[in-house]
Amino acid sequence: MHEFSIASSIVESVLEFAAKNKIEKILEVRLLVGELMAVEWEQLRFCYGAITRETAMENSSLEIEQVEAAVSCPYCSYRGRPKYWEDALAAFPIVTLQCPQCGMAAESTQGKECAIKTIRYMA
Amino acid sequence: MIQTIEASPDEIYDIELEHSLLEANARLAKENRILLDGHGITGIDIMGAIGSGKTTLIGRLVAKLKDRLGVAVFNGDATTSSDADLIAAQKVPVVQIATVNGCHLDANLVAKALRKIDLDGLRLIFIENIGNLICPAEFPLGSKARVVVVSVTEGQYMVRKHPHMFLGAHLVVINKVDLAEAMNVSVAQLAEDVRILKPDIKVIPTSCKAGTGLDEVAAELLAI
Ligand SMILES: Nc1nc2c(ncn2[C@@H]2O[C@H](COP(=O)(O)OP(=O)(O)OP(=O)(O)O)[C@@H](O)[C@H]2O)c(=O)[nH]1
Ligand SMILES: [Mg+2]
Ligand SMILES: [Zn+2]
Repeated sequence: MHEFSIASSIVESVLEFAAKNKIEKILEVRLLVGELMAVEWEQLRFCYGAITRETAMENSSLEIEQVEAAVSCPYCSYRGRPKYWEDALAAFPIVTLQCPQCGMAAESTQGKECAIKTIRYMA
Repeated sequence: MIQTIEASPDEIYDIELEHSLLEANARLAKENRILLDGHGITGIDIMGAIGSGKTTLIGRLVAKLKDRLGVAVFNGDATTSSDADLIAAQKVPVVQIATVNGCHLDANLVAKALRKIDLDGLRLIFIENIGNLICPAEFPLGSKARVVVVSVTEGQYMVRKHPHMFLGAHLVVINKVDLAEAMNVSVAQLAEDVRILKPDIKVIPTSCKAGTGLDEVAAELLAI
C-alpha cells in the first residue's frame, strides 16, 4: 500500500507549510498524478481522510488531476502519446513503452509525476 | 465530507506549491547511486510477487559468484529473518532491512544498510525488495538495474495485471519454468507480453530448482 506513504507525505508537506505560514484551515489539496504511476485513487483518498483527522487538514478535499503519459522514440524521433495495449483484455487501458510509429523501445517523457499542485486555505 | 465553513471569498487563498512527493526519495536514491558508483559496485534491485523466487534466485547467484567477486545482499523481508538467514549461511555480508509499513523499500532504508557494511572490495549488491508488484516501482533505491522476477505459478496473465512494474525494469526473469507444463502456462507468451510493454527488455527464463538460465542471468548482471 504505497498510497499510505504518498498520503503521509502529502499531509506532512502541507502541515509543514501551514505551520510555517500560520494557516489554521486547509480546504483543498490538488494533486498531479501521472498516468504511469500505479496509484489507486480511492485508496489514496481513504488514507488521506484517515491521516488528516484532527489536523488543520481535517475534512479538506483531495482533488486529483491525471497527467497523461507521453513518450519519445530515439529510433524514429516520434514524440507524443504512447501506444496502448489494446487487446490485453485488461480492466484498464495499459500504457506501453513501444513506439506507436516504429514499434521500437520508446522512453517516457511525461506521466511519472506525483506532486502537490496547489492548496486552498482559509486565512 | 462537504465543508461548511462561513467565509467570504476574499478570505480563501490558493497557492501553487508544485511540490513533488517523490523527490526526497529520488534525491536519496541518487546519493546511493553515487556512493555505489564510487566504489565500483553495481546495485541490483530484485522485485517481484511474494514467493516468485527472489531469495532463491539471489542465493543461487551468490553461490555462483561469491568466489570470483565481492557480493553482499540486502534483504527487505517485512516480518521474518528467514530469508536473510538462508543467504547469510553462504558467508557473505547480509543486511536485513525491516520496513515500517511492510510495503516497499525506499532509498533512505538502503542508505542506512549501505552504512552497515564495508563497501571496499564489493562488486555486486543484491537488494531484495518486498514481495509486492505494485509499490516498489515508484521508489527507486539507487540501484543500477532493476530485475523483476515473475514465476509461472502466478498464471498466464500476470504481466498484463501488473504492467507498471515492467516499464521500469532492465531485466525480467521468468522463474519456475520447471512447473510451466503442470501450470499450463506458456513461458513464450509471458515473455512476449513483457516485450509488448517494453520492446528492449531482456527476458530470461530460469528454473532455480533445475539450475537452468542462471548463468545467463549472472552474465547479464555483470554486463550492466
Ligand atoms: N519448482 C520451483 N520452485 C522454486 C523455484 N524457485 C523458487 N522456488 C520455490 O518457491 C518458493 C518461494 O521462493 P522464495 O525464493 O522464498 O521466494 P521469494 O520471492 O523470495 O518470496 P518472498 O520473499 O516471501 O516474497 C520456495 O519454496 C522455493 O523453493 C523454481 O525455479 N522452481
Ligand atoms: Mg524472499
Ligand atoms: Zn519510433
